[in-house]
Amino acid sequence: MAVKAPDRARCIQALDDLVKRCDGVNAAMLALRDGRPYAERSGGRVEPGKFAAMASSLLALGSSVLRELSAGTLDHVLVEGGAGKLVVANVPGSHGLLILAVLASHDARLGLVLGQAKTCALEVAAAFPPNGE
Amino acid sequence: MKQSYKMVFVGEPGAGKTTCIAALSDIKPVTTDVGCTDELAMIKETTTVALDYGELDLGDQGRLLLYGLPGQSRFRFMFDVVRAGLLGVVILVDAASSHALDGLAETLETYADELRHLPCVLALNKHPDPPDTFKQQCQDLLRKHKLVTPILAVDARKRADVIRVFELLFVLLEYGSDGAPRQEAPAWL
Ligand SMILES: Nc1nc2c(ncn2[C@@H]2O[C@H](COP(=O)(O)OP(=O)(O)OP(=O)(O)O)[C@@H](O)[C@H]2O)c(=O)[nH]1
Ligand SMILES: [Mg+2]
Repeated sequence: MAVKAPDRARCIQALDDLVKRCDGVNAAMLALRDGRPYAERSGGRVEPGKFAAMASSLLALGSSVLRELSAGTLDHVLVEGGAGKLVVANVPGSHGLLILAVLASHDARLGLVLGQAKTCALEVAAAFPPNGE
Repeated sequence: MKQSYKMVFVGEPGAGKTTCIAALSDIKPVTTDVGCTDELAMIKETTTVALDYGELDLGDQGRLLLYGLPGQSRFRFMFDVVRAGLLGVVILVDAASSHALDGLAETLETYADELRHLPCVLALNKHPDPPDTFKQQCQDLLRKHKLVTPILAVDARKRADVIRVFELLFVLLEYGSDGAPRQEAPAWL
């Protein structure tokens, strides 16, 4: 069954909302699962092609590691550094097509970033037309 | 502990890196393939987005650690992940593909900087007897990037062929290395 395309404007709106709503979020990226950019809000801070590819690698590696360790299916990958945090998650309801990557500054509150990333992913999921004819 | 040698496969999407590691590994390989979302889907279902990993026991000779990278240039950063302690690089080519030379050109464009400091072998896959003109064209591409590597035809799913590649890399390391610093492990390991 072919996956119908999402409403792109709504996807971009969801990214915009995330960046506006959540203090400290510097970049938000929707990428295709094989590492190509789909939509992005970063204000030129990150190179989209590379960001998308890295996000897909992280997510795939995370899934593989969980699989190897019999630790269930992946919810999100979190990478924290001295100057920033990165959250990467699958977009539920995108038929495994899209992933969301959110880059936040180091002082952004983790719970908030995670929660807002989830909300954004749900908004993107809602941009896909319902299944069936 | 057994000596381990780390070998990485690069090459265009579809060259056979994942297939090779899956066919040869003594352990269940680690894979990171996802469904293709571009034209590649017409050739095959999935593509690697992080890496493949497998191990091959060489008996007294030690153990080969096999790493496969994604084929697309956008994953160039993955080389940084596997670089430490590499014995060498296998550049895999789908010699049966009509786009083989374009694929090789892109791979070399992407990795030539790394390849110049490491032993490497160009392995022509999927073709029982690649024509001399094709080998010559590969040679020309290598030369264009100031690379000198042996070229040999392989079936990347065959253990004996991949061990031959490993042995070649080993010889290159012993006699042909440009003296690039190798990462020394602490003595207690
Ligand atoms: N005829 C033939 N087919 C092969 C051989 N090796 C691999 N294949 C096929 O060629 C394709 C290779 O696909 P992969 O192993 O995914 O290639 P890859 O190099 O890992 O590609 P990416 O991960 O996309 O970069 C598969 O469809 C294999 O079945 C071979 O020696 N002969
Ligand atoms: Mg692969």
